[in-house]
Amino acid sequence: MYTCGIDVGSVSAEAVILNRQDGKFEIVAYIITPTGGDSKEAATNVFNRALEKSGLGASDMSSVVATGYGRLNIPFATKNITEISCHARGVVHYFPDIKTVIDIGGQDSKVIKLDSKGNPIDFLMNDKCAAGTGRFLEVMARALDIDIRDFAKIFAGTSQKVDISSTCTVFAESEIVSLIGHGVAKNSIVKGLVYSITGRIISMVERVGLEGPVCMTGGVAKNLAVVSALEERLNLKIKVPEEPQITGALGAALLGYPKE
Amino acid sequence: MGIAENIKENLKLKIQNNLDRNYIRNILRIIGKRPVLAAYGATFSSRSDKYLNIATIKSISCSYNPKNTVAYGSLFLPYEMFHALDLAPFLPEVMGGFTGGLGIADRTLKEASARWYTPDLCTFHRSASGAVELDIFPVPNFLICSNLACDAAQKTFYMDAKKFGLEDNYYLIDTPYDNDESSIKYLAAQLESVSVDICRKSGKKLDIRKFKKAIRLSNEFRQWAIKASDIRKELCMYPKGFDGLNFILPFHGLAGTKDAVDVYKTMYFELNGFLKKQKRGNIKNTGIRRIGGGWTSVSNVNSININNNNLSSSSGNAGSDKVKKILWLHLKPYYNNNLFNLLENNNYKVVFEEISNVYWPVLDPEKPFESLAIKMLSHPLNGSVQNRVNAILKMAKDFNVDGVIMFAHWGCRHSNGGARIIKDSLKEQDIPMLLLDGDCLNKNNSSEGQMLTRLQGFMEIVDARYQY
Repeated sequence: MYTCGIDVGSVSAEAVILNRQDGKFEIVAYIITPTGGDSKEAATNVFNRALEKSGLGASDMSSVVATGYGRLNIPFATKNITEISCHARGVVHYFPDIKTVIDIGGQDSKVIKLDSKGNPIDFLMNDKCAAGTGRFLEVMARALDIDIRDFAKIFAGTSQKVDISSTCTVFAESEIVSLIGHGVAKNSIVKGLVYSITGRIISMVERVGLEGPVCMTGGVAKNLAVVSALEERLNLKIKVPEEPQITGALGAALLGYPKE
Repeated sequence: MGIAENIKENLKLKIQNNLDRNYIRNILRIIGKRPVLAAYGATFSSRSDKYLNIATIKSISCSYNPKNTVAYGSLFLPYEMFHALDLAPFLPEVMGGFTGGLGIADRTLKEASARWYTPDLCTFHRSASGAVELDIFPVPNFLICSNLACDAAQKTFYMDAKKFGLEDNYYLIDTPYDNDESSIKYLAAQLESVSVDICRKSGKKLDIRKFKKAIRLSNEFRQWAIKASDIRKELCMYPKGFDGLNFILPFHGLAGTKDAVDVYKTMYFELNGFLKKQKRGNIKNTGIRRIGGGWTSVSNVNSININNNNLSSSSGNAGSDKVKKILWLHLKPYYNNNLFNLLENNNYKVVFEEISNVYWPVLDPEKPFESLAIKMLSHPLNGSVQNRVNAILKMAKDFNVDGVIMFAHWGCRHSNGGARIIKDSLKEQDIPMLLLDGDCLNKNNSSEGQMLTRLQGFMEIVDARYQY
């Protein structure tokens, strides 16, 4: 019995096709693509590509569950569920004992608190701006002319940091341009940026109430600089799924199965 | 679109295109004529809603009528005093809310911004100030405000007084923090002194019989409001168009009038009729049974129905045909939004509102000023935040709610400041609370997509707590 979960975010769209056999779940195929300007088209595209990769047809899917900000705009979805429930479910699949989920995507960041059975019991989302999200890091990397994938290496190898006082993405970009103009080392700016984004996440974690174990999901979980900074500040080890970007889609696919 | 909506949309368009107090006065004069008002009232499907709208139109019309002595009043004043003094009350904060509903808040807010009202100020006050500056609101004779809970009015009203050259007719009622004997005396003395001064300036004699009458009506209103609330403790299905969050004026500007009594008396009988039908089984009994401590697996999360074309609550999401009860704190967005559609589509019902809470004791008509002082000091927003917490916990318990939603209106310190302690206190009682950040008036200051995701996520959490 197959289900498909589709997570349409502001930056990327993911689809996961899942099979359940003898009570065990197996990821048959997954696809990650940029969302582009049309979320409906992105959903269709990622769905078709996942089907193609799996060698299955749409009729083989017992349900298609949509999540992410584009979840309401997917006509072929059989139901829609928020990222909050989907990320929680996806995380519990990998790590059943997780109590706090930190999800940082392209447009929003959220902290989800789980109970002992993996049910979400509270959550916080970032306010209506890109500060503290993947988009923030992307814009800053562009301003610095540094590949975002190099952030982890730079973060680990740099001891100095400058404080980035602006929380607004636009103002922070101006601040960085100004710092570069004043001859501040780019590596120190990178370190400051990582601490800036984690500072916002930490305050959300504290509001919800930190309880370990903690798991991080979303595209930014691939950025080891951010993960390291969070571990340092929270003083604990953060678990990250092998492919953190598909956690929402995986959770959606899992929630597509009927209740047991 | 129904007849009522058509009429409202037409009026909105007319007002949007003619933003001028004389034009509004003429519109109100036409609507206020008995047959037109009756025809207007007949377009409402809920009787309570009809009486509320008629009473509201009448009240606003009075404040736009130059023959009347008009007094601007801040929200938490005892309006029994206004009516006893024959003042036509005009509540700029409430009317600021109307600018959102009328679709003119963009213009009033822009005007306020151009006049140096900081964007940090609550939009109810800012929009009202913009409307005063644009000569949309009526010209007052007096401006009376209090610093109860919200201290913005005392500043914005003074600006309004300056604009109208009425600094001498501006009164600030200083409300003490504590609810004790000395505070009651201090406050009662101010209410009396302001009343005497207004009478002197109006060339009238203070008529204590009018105070007694207003207080008797206030007590009568209180009685019907409590009776209506009691009905709502059991009621799950409401008349079409009924929204408790609209019933602000009877508690404020209409307090001490027969109109307020009639609105709530009508509400009581209307809701009682629904309750009887519900009990007879003519309306599906959607009582909720909570499974004590039994939490269902996250896999029990159901898909949330967000389809706006399908607003029937009976067609809610799969597996959740029980109505889930919500207590709503503070106010709501007054522009078009889908929050309530999302709730309704998924069998969630706002069964009570913080603004509908009768928090004050029976008033003594023989001691009018003291009674009104007691009423003001009894407000849960006065004094310690614990007063509000206690009131909320009582409402949550009385209405056996499944969750609490607090709309955190931008810039509203007196409400948002207590959010953390309210959330923690509800958590201790195992009641989930959603803090929904937004703006009641300025839709540009709210991201609907984010609000809907938060609301949907909250409903998924509440859903997962029940098994059916």
